[in-house]
Amino acid sequence: METQAKNPNFNIASKKKKSAELSLGYNPYAKDKLYAVLFLGPSLLILALFVFYPMLRTIYLSFFLTNNLGKPTVFVGLKNYFALFSSNAYINSLIATLVYVIAVSIFTIAIGLVLAQAATKKVAGINFFRTIFSATMGVSVSVAAIFWLFIFNPSVGLLSQLFTALNLTPINWLTEPGWAMTAIVISTVWMNLGFTFLIFFGALQSVPYTLYEAAQIEGVSKSYQFFHITLPMISPTIFFVSIITLIESFKSFGLIDLMTAGGPNNATNLLVYRIYQDAFLNGNYGLASTESVILAVIIALFTFIQFKVLEKRVTY
Amino acid sequence: MKRKRTIFAALVIIFLAIIGFTFSQKSSAKADSRIKIVFWHEMTGPGQVQLNKFVKEFNDSQNKYVVVPQFEGNYNEAVQKILNTHGTSTSPALFQSMDISTSQIYNSGYTTPVQKFIDKEGYDTSKISAVARAFYSKNGTQLSMPFNTSQPVLYYNATLLKKYGITPPPVNPSYSDITRVATELYQKSGKKVKGLSVEIYGWLFEQFLANGGESLANNEDGHSGVPTSVNFSGTVATKTMKWLQENIKSGAFMNFGAGSSASANEMAAFLSGKLGMFLQSSADISQLTAGTKDKLGITYYPHADGQKSNGVSIGGASLWISNDKSSEVQQGAWNFIKFLMNAKNQATWQVATGYLALNKDSQDEPVLKKLYKSQPEAKVPGQQLRRTKPNNTNSGIFMQGLIQERTLTQTAMEQIYNGSNIKNSLVEAQKAMNSYITSNNLANKVNQK
Repeated sequence: METQAKNPNFNIASKKKKSAELSLGYNPYAKDKLYAVLFLGPSLLILALFVFYPMLRTIYLSFFLTNNLGKPTVFVGLKNYFALFSSNAYINSLIATLVYVIAVSIFTIAIGLVLAQAATKKVAGINFFRTIFSATMGVSVSVAAIFWLFIFNPSVGLLSQLFTALNLTPINWLTEPGWAMTAIVISTVWMNLGFTFLIFFGALQSVPYTLYEAAQIEGVSKSYQFFHITLPMISPTIFFVSIITLIESFKSFGLIDLMTAGGPNNATNLLVYRIYQDAFLNGNYGLASTESVILAVIIALFTFIQFKVLEKRVTY
Repeated sequence: MKRKRTIFAALVIIFLAIIGFTFSQKSSAKADSRIKIVFWHEMTGPGQVQLNKFVKEFNDSQNKYVVVPQFEGNYNEAVQKILNTHGTSTSPALFQSMDISTSQIYNSGYTTPVQKFIDKEGYDTSKISAVARAFYSKNGTQLSMPFNTSQPVLYYNATLLKKYGITPPPVNPSYSDITRVATELYQKSGKKVKGLSVEIYGWLFEQFLANGGESLANNEDGHSGVPTSVNFSGTVATKTMKWLQENIKSGAFMNFGAGSSASANEMAAFLSGKLGMFLQSSADISQLTAGTKDKLGITYYPHADGQKSNGVSIGGASLWISNDKSSEVQQGAWNFIKFLMNAKNQATWQVATGYLALNKDSQDEPVLKKLYKSQPEAKVPGQQLRRTKPNNTNSGIFMQGLIQERTLTQTAMEQIYNGSNIKNSLVEAQKAMNSYITSNNLANKVNQK
């Protein structure tokens, strides 16, 4: 008994001794804490410096008017918030952002899914199409903007030449409010498709083939198979993609800056672009901070709703 | 375990050594005992190429200073960068800042007025264009040195007008002169060629007011005191917007929208012969002559019917000396400014970029004479600049927040171009600007205490 009891103790003690040589104390809890600090410390420090401090600072700034050097000078409490919600331009931006985000999310997911489903068919040259479908992942925003600007150019663009050839009146894609939003949505969806396609394609590959075989034996139609086997099986992926796309489209900036600069008549002046304009062009950091806080709350709210509503329909 | 750790430690040491080595290499390669003048600029295209040439020539010409040019993106963003880095080691000794940031940069108190060096050395400013100098001075003190300076002008495709047998617009056209040419062009080309484009650009809006002699901001456009309100909906503004709206509706004028894509689209349309005329900066001239074989025509900025043109103000940017650097560095920055302003370099600058030569002696330089001989129309912007007598409505607007003013007037123009009620759109923008001015003045006065 004694030796048996002693042995494990001895073992622990020897291990302790061994590792104690490397660390600083003998207390096992102290050592845990030390490791915790060692491992978490750097990331906490970085997060505190680059995430938490700017976040708190943004909230602080949102209660102030800032002068032209960006320094907070006059405390105005919630006045910035009231000013925003009573401004027609801001409300329009809010609505435009919602329209944009919802349109982009829906089209990206729907088209991405169709392309991915099509790419699972084993036909000649399918590898070529798979490459093409995922190719937009490798296109940078500036290149995409130039590409689409050429297509939408009102006098020498591809679409206007096509319309003229067909004897239709060319659309002023980027200068008429409704069409500008359509053009931006088209370009963004096109940009997003590569990534969405790739994720969906991967998910479709992981659906066990036996399920489809069983369905075929039962003589079920293709569309029934899609809605009752494919969709439920890849629902976690759809959920993931929908959240990523939603957050990404809330944060859209590059295409808007390069293609419409928020115009015409603020039709594509989405929340992020407005923040950029107020902060870095107008030097109005107080107001821009207020807008940032509102945007953060909106994104958090949407993500929360998605988790509450969509996750119920997800089969893991 | 121990061996792995040793290998890892060895790798880390090697890695650090490589980094250290690279950096020491870099610093030793750059070791230049000359005083460094960091110069921030926002020039792109031919302007950047020529500016870098000037820098090289200046650096090779003497061994006391070395100018290090750094491109800082577009004008708007550069202003914030300049203000936010002041007092740090990364801040520039010399920087280029756009026309409408003048009041903002001045009020920051971050610069040494070039007047100090002008007085110290008895530098003769009378050779530099008076209109350009007036734009960047306050109560007779030269704040910064005008550098890349342009004038808004009207370009037309002379070959295209000739093809359809249309008489070109006169050199100082009124709105109805332009309407005539635009409508004829649109009709005679079977609606394939648009007559005129006025980009949705706040600068052009300001110029319509300047040319009509109408103040945009109170206190005489800020020249007699800090502006407290603006007037976007005056007679000239309303008349001009009505002219543009009617002709866009009829199809004779084209709306290319706002932003960098708008000017690119406009340029593409003009170069491909789908657009007959457009209003733009005189600095575009070199791009236009290089891009098409068609003969280019240039006139003064159009003015409203039944009134004389008051003259337009300049556009572009000026050079400022930061006061957070030693007096030796500031002196070096000033020496570089003088170098850029000499007659020969100003002439070279106009030939290379289309920005106007500001030194009066440049007109006698062979390079510029050669340009005028091959392109007589290149004289027009300079003539427009010289014929303008500076007054308070055509010497720029001395007001903070002009970027906001441009955003708001551009929004109003977008609404008007798409058919909205002119008065409502202008008044709405005016109200938004006035509330911006109120809170901006409030925020900045507290700071001045």
